[in-house]
Amino acid sequence: MDNKTIKEYLNRCSKCGGCQAVCPLYGETHSEPLVARGKLFLMKNYLDGNLDLSPKMMELMSLCLLCKACTVQCPNRIPVDELVLSIRREIAHHKGIPFVKKNVFQHLLQNNGRLTIAAKLAYLYQQSGLQWLMRKTNILGLLPGEIARKEKLLPRMAKIPFRAQVPKTLSSSKPRLRVGYYTGCLTNYVFAETGHAVLKVLKNHSLDVVIPEQWCCGLPALASGDEESAVLLARRNIEAFKKADVDIIITDCASCGSMLHEYGDLIGGRDARIFSQKVVDFSQLIGDVIDFQPGDKEVSGVATYHDPCHLCRGQGVVEAPRRLIKAVPGITFREMEESDRCCGAAGSFNLSHYHLANKIGHRKIRNVIESGAQLVITGCPSCIMQIRHQLELQEASVQVMHLAELLSKTY
Amino acid sequence: MLSTTVIKEIIKVVGKENVLTTKEELLCYAYDSTPRAFLPDLVARPCCTAQIQKIAKLANEHLFPLVPRGAGTGLSGGSLPVDGGVVVDLTRMNKILEIDEENLVAVVEPGVITFQIQEEVEKRGLFYPPDPASLKTSTIGGNVAECAGGPRALKYGVTRDYVLGLEVVTPDGEVITTGGKTVKSVTGYDLLRLYTGSEGTLGIITKIYLRLIPKPEAKKTMMVVYDKLDDAAQSVSRIIRGGIIPVTLEMMDDRTIRCVENYKQMGLPLDAEAILIIEVDGPQILLDSQAQEIAKLCQDCGAREIKIAETEEERESIWAARRSVSAAVVQIKPTKISEDISVPRMAIPRMVRRLKEIASRYNLELVIFGHAGDGNLHPNILCDQTDAEEMQRVEKAIGELFKAAVELGGTLSGEHGIGMMKAPYLKVETGEAGFEVMRRIKEALDPNNILNPGKIFRGDTNG
Repeated sequence: MDNKTIKEYLNRCSKCGGCQAVCPLYGETHSEPLVARGKLFLMKNYLDGNLDLSPKMMELMSLCLLCKACTVQCPNRIPVDELVLSIRREIAHHKGIPFVKKNVFQHLLQNNGRLTIAAKLAYLYQQSGLQWLMRKTNILGLLPGEIARKEKLLPRMAKIPFRAQVPKTLSSSKPRLRVGYYTGCLTNYVFAETGHAVLKVLKNHSLDVVIPEQWCCGLPALASGDEESAVLLARRNIEAFKKADVDIIITDCASCGSMLHEYGDLIGGRDARIFSQKVVDFSQLIGDVIDFQPGDKEVSGVATYHDPCHLCRGQGVVEAPRRLIKAVPGITFREMEESDRCCGAAGSFNLSHYHLANKIGHRKIRNVIESGAQLVITGCPSCIMQIRHQLELQEASVQVMHLAELLSKTY
Repeated sequence: MLSTTVIKEIIKVVGKENVLTTKEELLCYAYDSTPRAFLPDLVARPCCTAQIQKIAKLANEHLFPLVPRGAGTGLSGGSLPVDGGVVVDLTRMNKILEIDEENLVAVVEPGVITFQIQEEVEKRGLFYPPDPASLKTSTIGGNVAECAGGPRALKYGVTRDYVLGLEVVTPDGEVITTGGKTVKSVTGYDLLRLYTGSEGTLGIITKIYLRLIPKPEAKKTMMVVYDKLDDAAQSVSRIIRGGIIPVTLEMMDDRTIRCVENYKQMGLPLDAEAILIIEVDGPQILLDSQAQEIAKLCQDCGAREIKIAETEEERESIWAARRSVSAAVVQIKPTKISEDISVPRMAIPRMVRRLKEIASRYNLELVIFGHAGDGNLHPNILCDQTDAEEMQRVEKAIGELFKAAVELGGTLSGEHGIGMMKAPYLKVETGEAGFEVMRRIKEALDPNNILNPGKIFRGDTNG
């Protein structure tokens, strides 16, 4: 977005304050600098030369979940999340990217070998008893900040990354479609069970599946203002899936999915646009593109559904997941209040702003519990991590799982 | 500018985490929903009446302005810190203290969002009717301070009709309670009415007793299209005189209709001069016959088309047209100056013609919609705040439209308040003597002019 367009959007804000009603951060803090109206006014002041990119400004601009709730409700149709990304890019450009993030985006995420090693180290930490020792002795509690509590957010890593556990192609006898599976980093390194569930469901619908070598979608880099790294990663993924020659590209991660849809605009050009056009969410493929055929096994219980921001607002996928849940034999579906309100995960927001993310998560869990469901189904690994952590904090005996896992249980 | 001593004192009162002083944060409390902004020196976020008392005492001792603020969604500049000073952000005082189902009273803190009160009381089969457009974000404290209205005012009245009692911190830091849970009260002057709509200039409201009523069982909505604006006005009068008071009677003028239709193709007639959206509520059993009766009256007055919503979806689609007005009109130009003059309802056609004449004389884009049932119109001028020359024309046009409203027996503001935006025009309506009475009340209660200076009276010597 160029400066002229940005200025036009900022000028459009009538400061009606409608964003207050939907902003999860404002809902917990009632703090005007955290709501869209405040941020847009600050950006306007920055562009008018009335403000610098001060540490305070940088902090305030980091305090956005990019959940798009304000963007969707804005009567003047201001794409707030895109404007926040653009100021973050400006900050990254002038102030650089913090050392740790820079290393992650520019080295770790661009090198699958190193990323696998890092995941392995995390796995060893959890398996060796070191994690048990650290938690038991509360050594981490002696460290500054929230390290001890945040450490519990760290999910159990998969022993072997998902993609290393499965073949690169799975053929069906009479394939209806050739599906490219973009697994996302969390499914690959943490939630291998989600990956297996996706494959199980696909296998039961006569589909050929290809899982080419692939890289981080680039959203973490873009959200931190590092567009260059995001573009690099995007190009690699586009190339990889082009070679795989697939009809359709699916992902089980709402955040990755919304980013993959952006490739067309981010990079431009025919390949990028074709790539983005092919991307659908797992639930869309099973629910809309082909007809879901559940197995005969019953899964009993009351389930509710959490809309990931990047699925409902990011990709307009609302109805398909619900229809699929209802189609599972034995499941009673019950809608929760505010099902589309952000759970507070927002990429790594729950790590960088742990307390605030907890407040937002608390509200989500309250809504889950009030629905009376024993099972929360959702479509984003990052939401699963956050919701699981919040359920543990509140000692609620509710399970959370990916839609694919629920569907796979019927076979 | 506040001295460091004063800042330290305020921090002592509300705690460091509830005091904002960086330029970035102050800028976010410099505005409301008008196009204006003024930087405060500090924002304090008190949690209780006692803290506000202490801040008011400090303000009198060190002579700095206090500007109470709720959600900052006002349309007259009521919460703008025009002389700097301390913005007192009341959003942390956001508890519903009690819903007394026996006495039909809700007791709330000022920072509660109005919509939340409505949701909570409606769960209990009760009803708090005032419904300003901003109700999902605006706070009840702000609603009381500005005496907010809304579409339902026609049948149910405005905020002041539901305020039974108030706890108020006076400008010198004392606390008074006026009214309470009783419906009747004539003890001394009617301070309730004085504080309601006082726009933060006479005291800071810290607790509110709200009158509740039983929730109406059902509602029915209809849309009526007119070739002639006068026929629409005639219908409004006939309906009310006929003994049926609708909950809402909303009007859109020709320009508004075209804007909405351009924005969201919903099949509105592009050649109509006016559309009325009429809603009745009450016992289910009465609504069908009331709707039929209204339809007949409208027909008699020359309505071209009448659509009665039979399902919830149809009802929604009628309201969707009205709700998309704000979004639709800013497609013309980005800045929306929303006025809220009120005239006796039969003067609406004359007022609309005057408004159109003024707009064309100053070459401005104008749309008119609003609450036809109570004569409260929202002429909205669409302009571009970055165009200085155009903004000057806007300013002149506004002066004229106020004059026209008063000449037709109306008022400058039906529900937004005077604030700073309309302060220069106040005397057009009150005259010198009326103005002087108000000014003396302000001077008597707030001799140091601590509370919300620059509002209502600015433009005169003692602003």
